[in-house]
Amino acid sequence: MSQADLASVRRSILPANGDSWESIASRELADLDNAVSLLQSWNLHVFMRPAAPEGSARQGNPILPSDVIFLEPPAAS
Amino acid sequence: MFDLKIRNALIVDGSGNPAYSGDVGINAGRISAIGPKLPGDAHSTIDAGGKAVAPGFIDPHTHFDAQLLWDGQARPALTHGITTIVPGNCSLSLAPLKAKHRMKLVGMFNQIEEMPHIAFEQGVEWNWETFDEYLKRISQNLAINVAPLVGHSLLRLWVMEDAAMQRTASESEITQMMDLLRQALDAGAVGLSTSFVDMDETLQPVPSRYADIHELESLCSVLGDYGRVLQIVPEFYDGDLTVARVDQLADLSRKYNIPTTFSPLFVNSDNSDAVDKVMARVNEQFATGARVWPQVQTRPIDISFSFAVPSLLFIRFPGWYQIMRFETHDGIVAAFSDPARREALIAEAARLAPLWPRLILRQVNSAENQPLVGKTLAEIAEIRNSTPVDVMIDLSLEENLDAHFLAADMGHNDNVKVASLLNADNVHIGASDGGAHILSFSTYGDTGYLFSNFVRDQQAMSLETAVRKLTLETAEIWGIPERGLLQEGYVADIAIFDPNTIARGAEYYVQDVPGDGSRYVRDSIGVDTVIVGGEVAWSASDGYTSAARGAILPGAEQRA
Repeated sequence: MSQADLASVRRSILPANGDSWESIASRELADLDNAVSLLQSWNLHVFMRPAAPEGSARQGNPILPSDVIFLEPPAAS
Repeated sequence: MFDLKIRNALIVDGSGNPAYSGDVGINAGRISAIGPKLPGDAHSTIDAGGKAVAPGFIDPHTHFDAQLLWDGQARPALTHGITTIVPGNCSLSLAPLKAKHRMKLVGMFNQIEEMPHIAFEQGVEWNWETFDEYLKRISQNLAINVAPLVGHSLLRLWVMEDAAMQRTASESEITQMMDLLRQALDAGAVGLSTSFVDMDETLQPVPSRYADIHELESLCSVLGDYGRVLQIVPEFYDGDLTVARVDQLADLSRKYNIPTTFSPLFVNSDNSDAVDKVMARVNEQFATGARVWPQVQTRPIDISFSFAVPSLLFIRFPGWYQIMRFETHDGIVAAFSDPARREALIAEAARLAPLWPRLILRQVNSAENQPLVGKTLAEIAEIRNSTPVDVMIDLSLEENLDAHFLAADMGHNDNVKVASLLNADNVHIGASDGGAHILSFSTYGDTGYLFSNFVRDQQAMSLETAVRKLTLETAEIWGIPERGLLQEGYVADIAIFDPNTIARGAEYYVQDVPGDGSRYVRDSIGVDTVIVGGEVAWSASDGYTSAARGAILPGAEQRA
């Protein structure tokens, strides 16, 4: 089996250095209205996390460099 | 003349081939002959009396890192037939570790693995920094084999200091981490562990979670040079996230030609479809040539707790967890005694209303409450004309927080589904967490439970398959040579057990942790003798011996 034959799964990315909701939305979902809100709703595992503390290099940004960020909603069950 | 001969054995050799009757001869720590009715005398003989003789079991997911500093036998793992353990999982090892980071690591172990601070204070002499020094330290009196992972969070702490928990690494820092990983692998580490979910004692993400994919790829390139393993903790509570991690691991596995494993993969009533989805992806990725092994534990999830120490059971209830984690003993008593705070806690607990009535009062100290032990909180609430959560708080106050409760069968208890997983070709049996969560549950006895429940009671797996899964298959996944198989020339790590009775004993509380600490353990049932490196390390008749033939695996001399 080749990688091209893998079944499609929920689309996701790993963040680029310094990524925020806004940067991911503008890069990956440029054609969507309310892209930031949609991203956040598809990624509650990140959105619901407390933001980085004051004084941190990531202050105010809950996205970690190792996070999986989904670019679409879960498949309907 | 053999050093040791095991006669009248049912040989289950680890290959998965049918068991057969025969003898095993051992010389100089290795199997020198195996077969029916071996001729020749021996300095020492064990009559197995028809019991199964198998390679020693390998436990691939443990946190014995600290315990090995005061207990080279990793009690009671040996008694369950386990001859090799893999510590250092979940991005946490005890080395490399600079002196100034020791208390930080103790905090992380306390938060993530529920290892009491006082055990470190009383049981650990901090006389190492490098990985090599740590291995030399634990090797001084080792009765069990240790295949240690080096923790990604430790590499970051060593190189980046406080910035390890703030940002991605620079190219220079990544290069330093790669060098540090090489040093650990040269010293004998079996691979690298990382985590995508764990939090430290301040409830901030552990250092490994601040690594970007470039850093992880760079470290995996080093693993590829050595042919060593990457272990991760994925977001196991979510099927889509776990599938994404499977794909990430598959990419790393193919690109760097490394085996990868993730743990845990649980079956719960509300995630059955998610497990199917994850396994479908695992199987697809194996078909592409990737090696991505999910680790599945054998035992159902039981969690015990008291309010004297933080319990991960309460992590879904921030109000409760905050007081357990950050309040003193008196502070917790004050919170429970204050009507307003108590009311708020009860309101928060209502979010998971079905949980509380089924909790069982497990242990108390007072004579007055002894008659209630063994009853559910629903039953006690009826007796006291109260509610289950009120009863839990009241009992805790009456017992000065030393009332223990049991949340039994919290998941992973669907025998059909779990058996199907355990039998799957691409599933790795593991995730025991041995040596961790010592006040929440016993992480010992999973091997006995595999045989008693899935081989005998459910008849879902053959004896030979169960042994193969715990031995040769695990040794091959982890790149541990000359172990896991009863074959001439292989190291004589051997478990002798009665296949008709092997099981896990009842869970009980024992005070054997440094600093007068306690933990939950289980004795083995039906295990007769455990041999490490050709010498008896434990037997049911004589207990632990003074043998210290444990080795670091795969060892500094092994390199792919």
